[in-house]
Amino acid sequence: MAKMNLYSRGDKLFVIANMVLIGIFALSTLYPFIYIAAVSFSSGFAATAGKVILTPVDLTLAAYERVLSEPEFWRSYLNTFIYTIGGTLMSLIIIIPGAYALSRPQLIGRRFWNLVVAFTMWFNAGMIPFFLNMRDLGLMDSYFGLIIGFACNAFNIILLRNFFESIPASFEEAARMDGANEFQVLWKVFVPLSKPAIATVTLFCIVARWNGFFWAMVLLQDESKIPLQVYLRQIIATLSDDEEFASTLLTAPYSVETVTAAIIVCSIIPVLIIYPFVQKYFNKGILLGGVKE
Amino acid sequence: MSGVVLDKIVKRYGAAQVVHGIDLQIEPQEFVVLVGPSGCGKSTTLRMIAGLEEISDGNLTIADRHVNNVAPKDRDVAMVFQNYALYPHLNVAENIAFGLRIRKVKKPEIAKSVSEVAEILGLTDYLDRRPADLSGGQRQRVAMGRAIVRHPEVFLFDEPLSNLDAKLRTQMRAEIKRLHKRLGVTSIYVTHDQVEAMTLADRIVVMRDGRIEQIGRPMDLFNNPVNTFVAGFIGSPPMNQLTAVVEGGDDAPFATLGETKVKLPKLPQLQGQAGRKVVVGIRPEHALITPVDGASAIPLDLDLVETLGSEALLHTHVGDTPFVIKTETHGDIDHLYDVDKVYINAEKIKVFDAETGDVFAHPTQG
Amino acid sequence: MQKKLAWFLQHMRREWQIYVLLAPTIIWFILFLYKPMYGLQIAFKDYSIFRGIAGSPWVGFEHFQTLFESDTFVRALKNTVIISALSMMFGFPMPIILALMFNEILNQTYKKTAQTLVYLPHFISTVIIAGIVVTAFSPSAGIVNTIIGWFGIEPIYFLTKPEWFRPIFIGSGIWQEAGFSSIVFLAAIAGVNPSLYESAVVDGASRWQMMWKITLPSIMPTIIIMLIIRIGNILEIGFELVILLYQPATYQTADVINTFIYRQGLQGGQYDVAAAAGLFNAVVAFVLVMTANTISRRVSRTSLW
Repeated sequence: MAKMNLYSRGDKLFVIANMVLIGIFALSTLYPFIYIAAVSFSSGFAATAGKVILTPVDLTLAAYERVLSEPEFWRSYLNTFIYTIGGTLMSLIIIIPGAYALSRPQLIGRRFWNLVVAFTMWFNAGMIPFFLNMRDLGLMDSYFGLIIGFACNAFNIILLRNFFESIPASFEEAARMDGANEFQVLWKVFVPLSKPAIATVTLFCIVARWNGFFWAMVLLQDESKIPLQVYLRQIIATLSDDEEFASTLLTAPYSVETVTAAIIVCSIIPVLIIYPFVQKYFNKGILLGGVKE
Repeated sequence: MSGVVLDKIVKRYGAAQVVHGIDLQIEPQEFVVLVGPSGCGKSTTLRMIAGLEEISDGNLTIADRHVNNVAPKDRDVAMVFQNYALYPHLNVAENIAFGLRIRKVKKPEIAKSVSEVAEILGLTDYLDRRPADLSGGQRQRVAMGRAIVRHPEVFLFDEPLSNLDAKLRTQMRAEIKRLHKRLGVTSIYVTHDQVEAMTLADRIVVMRDGRIEQIGRPMDLFNNPVNTFVAGFIGSPPMNQLTAVVEGGDDAPFATLGETKVKLPKLPQLQGQAGRKVVVGIRPEHALITPVDGASAIPLDLDLVETLGSEALLHTHVGDTPFVIKTETHGDIDHLYDVDKVYINAEKIKVFDAETGDVFAHPTQG
Repeated sequence: MQKKLAWFLQHMRREWQIYVLLAPTIIWFILFLYKPMYGLQIAFKDYSIFRGIAGSPWVGFEHFQTLFESDTFVRALKNTVIISALSMMFGFPMPIILALMFNEILNQTYKKTAQTLVYLPHFISTVIIAGIVVTAFSPSAGIVNTIIGWFGIEPIYFLTKPEWFRPIFIGSGIWQEAGFSSIVFLAAIAGVNPSLYESAVVDGASRWQMMWKITLPSIMPTIIIMLIIRIGNILEIGFELVILLYQPATYQTADVINTFIYRQGLQGGQYDVAAAAGLFNAVVAFVLVMTANTISRRVSRTSLW
């Protein structure tokens, strides 16, 4: 586009107003996080009295000390890592070969198999039959159940399949003439060529796993297996349902609010750490291959 | 020996037949170019030889081995693709070595082969680079390196130069030719560019609509095209083709082009053919602007002069039919604007059947 | 026939590897998504755990009758449609506006930073969103009540007030997704032919005019497609957030079909009735999505799938 000095005064005003508005929107997106962080570092009294607005009041680490001293917190944190890493690996192990196979023109019944996958985007049996099925398969209350039960979804497979389809056939043909079998074509050619797409799918898997709570809550009874999100929910449920309990904490250096905030901060940190590494893929349109579906 | 024999090769996609029984015998060490307009089946034919497409019917023999059902990797052929298919995540050395690694060749041996190939192709200084950091010509060379390194019986080229700009294409064309001289490997080369075909081939196979129109050495095709299609395809600019009717007696046949009587060659096939509709073919190179003994002179209207440097193209028309003349400029084009007649030697004229397009054979053909 | 078989065997001998690669995916889909569809039959059965899915006796459409005679279900259905429609009304334009605004930012660093910030909430778990909402709207400690306190307004226990549930729910939805949803429109804007802008500049158009006369019309197909998809998904509500935010006091405005199913089925053990509600939901959703796709195919001449 044109250079800055080509703009009229009206344009400059427009550009500046726009920047200000975007800035306000971005900051208001950010504000809740700042607020929560501020609460987590404030004293229980200050937080409960509603004194925290932007920065910590009566700076203290009491809430963190409380949270980090809970074995349940650590247990659930560890569990979340297990579900996230195990679940993501399981997803990739199933999805990558599946998407590759579905992208091959020589696959007999390709349209049919693709329909088998895509149909589940439009119609699914719903919560109850899925739950009963998990129970019948004996996958309740187990790490493996939660990991395998949510390993695939049509969206990720289609996203990756579309990317594989966009790779020129000559790459596969060249590899085949060089003597590669399907496994080698996939592993040595398609996977390295599809890094952005695989990174995107990996990101989706990680985010879904890290944040997933509903089915963990429904399928897991054993407290020692629950992930962080379920643990957090239990704390929040206490906070919102039980005002009396909240008031008993008034005198403590921490309150239910500050403890909740501290857990929230602890749970967001890993997301914030990986976020910059994956963010670069968002604008590459790679995502859109899937979005278009 | 490593010849390739195609025996009534057919390709069908469902009910649609795209290659209609091709017969072709390629000698060991020969460089054969398949040429034709897009959709003529040349690439499909090449891909059937490579094993990338199933052969619907017929027999394919490579180096005396029947290979219809042999997997591509076991056919001992190597292919250079139009888009090179270089792996962007591997450097030049790794790209060249890819096939050997897949075949579990020992490491020192791979290193030796790769450096040999790099030497031949002048890639030694680029072995650590990724394809993205190479120029078009270098990528093209890596693609060839990947084929050469395996020492296949046959090289297959699928329009390998079409992604290069005109200058590089000329340069790489010469390089491919040199390489073929040096390695002496049987090569089958597909292109839609007749210049590439003419310059590279030992023999050219002109294809159209899944059939072979003519097979022959480049100059044979140029001098003696078997039909109007080949005549129009080989040579640049293409042969002028004018419809006319055979007139006159057997010993002095002529045709009327525009309003001028033009002598036709005395071909045995034209005997007693007075009144027959024909296509008169005249190569732009054979249309002369200076009088020659015994040549017919055709008056014409000049439309446009295209200067190419040492040569020029005169765009004219005879009657309503466009007619192109190719002539030397001798460093000056002003005189070309005065051209109002063209001189044609009867012996240079080709006569084709207007209905079938087939040539009335020239006595020198053989 | 024999020829076909021979061809098939030949094909399998050559290509068996892709079927090996495909198998885990297909097995997974059958086991975890298609087998439950078989289990959907309990919507028409008097399901008991002991008899199992196949052994339970058929009852026809009894459960559906029960559902439509139940005020709770009808209310949930109504809430679903209302919340969805309101989310669309307020939430749908936001990403488009954001995308248009991002497009007008010339400073790339500023743009990237702002984008990074507004995309972030998309990656935060629903539980944390709920946690933030609960903390921020808490009657004693929450920032919202602190602020309205400055204007002399008494603290409101927002999360127990039915009239506040929808604004809070929809607002947090916009906060979480508006930024990330703008990516689709930004990509559409990126696809606009730059020469359109260049010729507009030559014609003396202002940036404001270019935004209205070039950018917006150019991305209109994308907007229409996204709108159609959205309408097709009208029964899809982020029910996880509802579960986390609602309480009996707000069921009146907050209870949606999926939370109804959750309470009836998973908490109340009435699997058959809940499955019937789920089936109803799924069938209506399927029809809506298919209709939406057909319409979008007509509108954009490209099908969504």
